[in-house]
Amino acid sequence: MATSSEPVDDPAVRTGDTGSDRIRRGGRGMDTIRRLPATLLFSLVVLAVFLAAVALGSVLIPQDPFEQDLLNRNVPPSLEHLAGTDNFGRDVLARLLYGAKLTLMVGLGGVVSALVFGAVLGLTALAVGQWLSVPVYGLIDFIRALPDVLLALILIVALGPAISSVMIALGIAFAPFFAYVARAAWMREMAADYITVARTFGAGRLRILYRHALPNIIGAVITLVAVILPRCIVTESVLSFLGLGVSPDTPTWGRMIADGTPLFERAPHAVLIPVLALSTLTLALALLGNHLRARVDPLRADERRRKTDR
Amino acid sequence: MTTVLTVLWHLTRAATLIAGITILVFLLVRVVPGDVVDVLAIEGGLTDAQAEALRANLGLTVSWFDQFRAWCIGVLQGDFGESLRFRVPAADLLWHAIPVTLRLAAASLLLGFVLAVSVSLLATLRPQSVFVSLVDALNIWSISVPTFCAGLVGILVFSLWLGWLPVLGNFLVPVIILGVDAAGQIVKPLHEEMKELGTAAYVRTARAKGLHPLRIVIVHVLPAAAPVLLAMTGLIAASFIGGALTMEVLFGLPGVGSLAFNAINGRDYPLIQAVVLFLAVSVILINFATDLAHRLIDPRPER
Repeated sequence: MATSSEPVDDPAVRTGDTGSDRIRRGGRGMDTIRRLPATLLFSLVVLAVFLAAVALGSVLIPQDPFEQDLLNRNVPPSLEHLAGTDNFGRDVLARLLYGAKLTLMVGLGGVVSALVFGAVLGLTALAVGQWLSVPVYGLIDFIRALPDVLLALILIVALGPAISSVMIALGIAFAPFFAYVARAAWMREMAADYITVARTFGAGRLRILYRHALPNIIGAVITLVAVILPRCIVTESVLSFLGLGVSPDTPTWGRMIADGTPLFERAPHAVLIPVLALSTLTLALALLGNHLRARVDPLRADERRRKTDR
Repeated sequence: MTTVLTVLWHLTRAATLIAGITILVFLLVRVVPGDVVDVLAIEGGLTDAQAEALRANLGLTVSWFDQFRAWCIGVLQGDFGESLRFRVPAADLLWHAIPVTLRLAAASLLLGFVLAVSVSLLATLRPQSVFVSLVDALNIWSISVPTFCAGLVGILVFSLWLGWLPVLGNFLVPVIILGVDAAGQIVKPLHEEMKELGTAAYVRTARAKGLHPLRIVIVHVLPAAAPVLLAMTGLIAASFIGGALTMEVLFGLPGVGSLAFNAINGRDYPLIQAVVLFLAVSVILINFATDLAHRLIDPRPER
């Protein structure tokens, strides 16, 4: 994953060592001024357009995303159908706008359940004590050792094909990320003086977690939401593509790609347009996530500290 | 003494992990509604009586615990059970699939490794050149373009429009797609690390001695960045063993990913278990090898 090149994150700048290095100096100042806001601007614009589509989708496009027009199947993009039609003569743009909401819903559902399974469970276990946190993190290690697509596949088959099983499967598959970040943040906070103070005043473990440590941990966890959301969206599309995602009457973008694939040769637009939309959205989310993470990731903060000490 | 203890600790952890994953998957696949007999019944039209007889014959009527015990005893004797659908030993199916996946994973990893190292080397050497942007471009590509989308476009362009390659059984396009994806994940941390190391005192000394910049980067900076390179490569290698699943399905490669996909769809319990056991063992072996290589390669003295 990318780290952004902010001056704040640069130990050389923080320690005042700006040495006359040829290797490292290349255009770092320009970097900060020019590239970073541009990527951020890009992701904000894309996300604004996406959210507008989610909110206004059905208002903007008069066509019904489910209406079949069997005389106009696989029509390439034209004035009447701006993004063409699919194999059932349904308007691709209308489905794309309608699917935006579903894509976001499944992605968010996946992230939120990952947050619950990973961070909430992990932190509670850590706060309660080792007898709980060791088995919980042991389970997390098992989950981590299986490839996420394979795990999600097994889970969806186990839970039955429904939009909620996709969310739960994504949640379990991505829970380890949240659990590890939560643990790193927890360790960091537990070493801080204010926790020692709270403990001397007799605060219980769970009280320390929710009252004292949580406000300082929450930033890292929320940031991870932005990093994992695009991965959830992509994994959902992979699952749909493999035929085990949401059902055909819920056209998420992944589902649209999957549906269009058999007729790829005849109607490439029905696949390429959702692919493009999906990639643009994940790109915007990933850029935003990396930007946020460069500031608050506890795992990375440790890394930074270590490097400065060296 | 401490080394022996460390090795023992690692082995215990690995064994626990393998056992845990095996049990987890064993239970998961049995929670799945419908079993292999249902699938066969739909495909072959069995009567209820026939289906029940088949179930008993396949050992699916005894309790989960007995099934698990029987399976464990089999595995310890080197018998991974018989695929319920294809009626051949699961180990044989796996044995045919492994080389395909290994070839795909190894070739993609090699491409990704070479691409990432050369691009970050050039970017470190020439900080104002186009290579620095290439680092970001590769990274952004790997984040935002799902491999199966790239695969679809690849099929469209190379097979359908240009007619160069057959759609199925194709090897080169998935290797390029996975390789570029791997490169994108490796290149950014590697470049950051190399930039960082460029400020180290020993690099300044090397420069003061008048060494050629290329020599400094290759002999002094790159080996010190090896741990990052290794860690990333290990992670990606582990994910390729099973994560090449979509590529294998898309391009019709008969590898472990395709096997797992078909086994899950067909509720072929012994086959799923064999594949998962294989994946767990490979992931653990890769992690172990990464750890070992880390100790051997890192030029810094132990802290």
